Amino acid sequence: MAVLVLVRSPLPRLRALLQRCWGRLERGLWPGIFGGHSPPWGPALAVQGAALVPQGIGDAEAPSLPESVVWMAAPKHRRTIEVNRCRRRNPNKLIEIKRNIDVCPECGNLKQKHVLCGYCYAKVKEETQLIRMEIKKKEGGPFNAPTVETVVLYEGEKPTEKDEGKRIIERARKRPSWFVQN
Amino acid sequence: MRLSVAAAISHGRVYRRLGLSPRSRLDLLRNLVTALVRHERIETPWARADEMRGYAERLIDYAKRGDKDERAMRMADFWLTEKDLIHKLFKVLAPRFQPHAGSYTRLLQIPNRDGLDRAKMAVIELKGNPLPPLVRPRRDSDRTLLNQLLKGYRQDAQRARGTPV
Repeated sequence: MAVLVLVRSPLPRLRALLQRCWGRLERGLWPGIFGGHSPPWGPALAVQGAALVPQGIGDAEAPSLPESVVWMAAPKHRRTIEVNRCRRRNPNKLIEIKRNIDVCPECGNLKQKHVLCGYCYAKVKEETQLIRMEIKKKEGGPFNAPTVETVVLYEGEKPTEKDEGKRIIERARKRPSWFVQN
Repeated sequence: MRLSVAAAISHGRVYRRLGLSPRSRLDLLRNLVTALVRHERIETPWARADEMRGYAERLIDYAKRGDKDERAMRMADFWLTEKDLIHKLFKVLAPRFQPHAGSYTRLLQIPNRDGLDRAKMAVIELKGNPLPPLVRPRRDSDRTLLNQLLKGYRQDAQRARGTPV
């Protein structure tokens, strides 16, 4: 709440003038001084609009509010840029730096330590997609899952004795270096 | 003495809430288990894969009892919605995992999904599947100091064994 300090001047006429001005401000008859708003010591919202409007002077400036109005919180002062900077650049608001990024030993791309390398996984995913297309061609239709194990053979490979009784899926390309036959 | 649990505290609750309702959660997990048994490797959000892992491993434990077991057959009938997979479960997966004591699945995290949600994704696969391997086991490099010292020690031991003979 701002406090206006009345200056005690020795001149009685100046004092009378100041007292009249003060009286007018208190009664709200001088709205122009604060750019159209109520004096700074008033509350944010008026409860009873009728109480502020003096009798006999028209309601030209008085705002027409309903009888029961709720008090709302509102900022009193502008936050300076220094204060704003302190809040926005506080470490808890900045993005955390990740220290768990490594280089994949296979392809050299970056990867997180606990996550698979994106490039290597995409490579494996593409190869499994092609293998699954071959499986689909072999099965012919839906719900034809075989009751034996499956083995994938590439160009020029023969089934070993370990692959006895397994369903063979042929892939028409050279075996990739990262898919070790076992 | 506390006789009832407060609604907003979830200490000790192990099951995640997925889907629209508990029944929907079970249906979701059932679809995932069916897909895993059919394709042997699936890519799904990490939470669902983690939740589904326990159910899949218990299903394989039931399958190890053999298909003559009434409870095993009822479990397989409930959990596998595509009925040709029941044959695969009892004839392919149960013998494959007979020597293993547990942990028939492998759960690995992959980079977040490309869509708007950037969901944490995982790939879950049955061990011993015929598909290309996701992670190559890597031996330590021979150039490290410890490995060089061990190599030298092994060579000295071999030389010492060689000369007396």
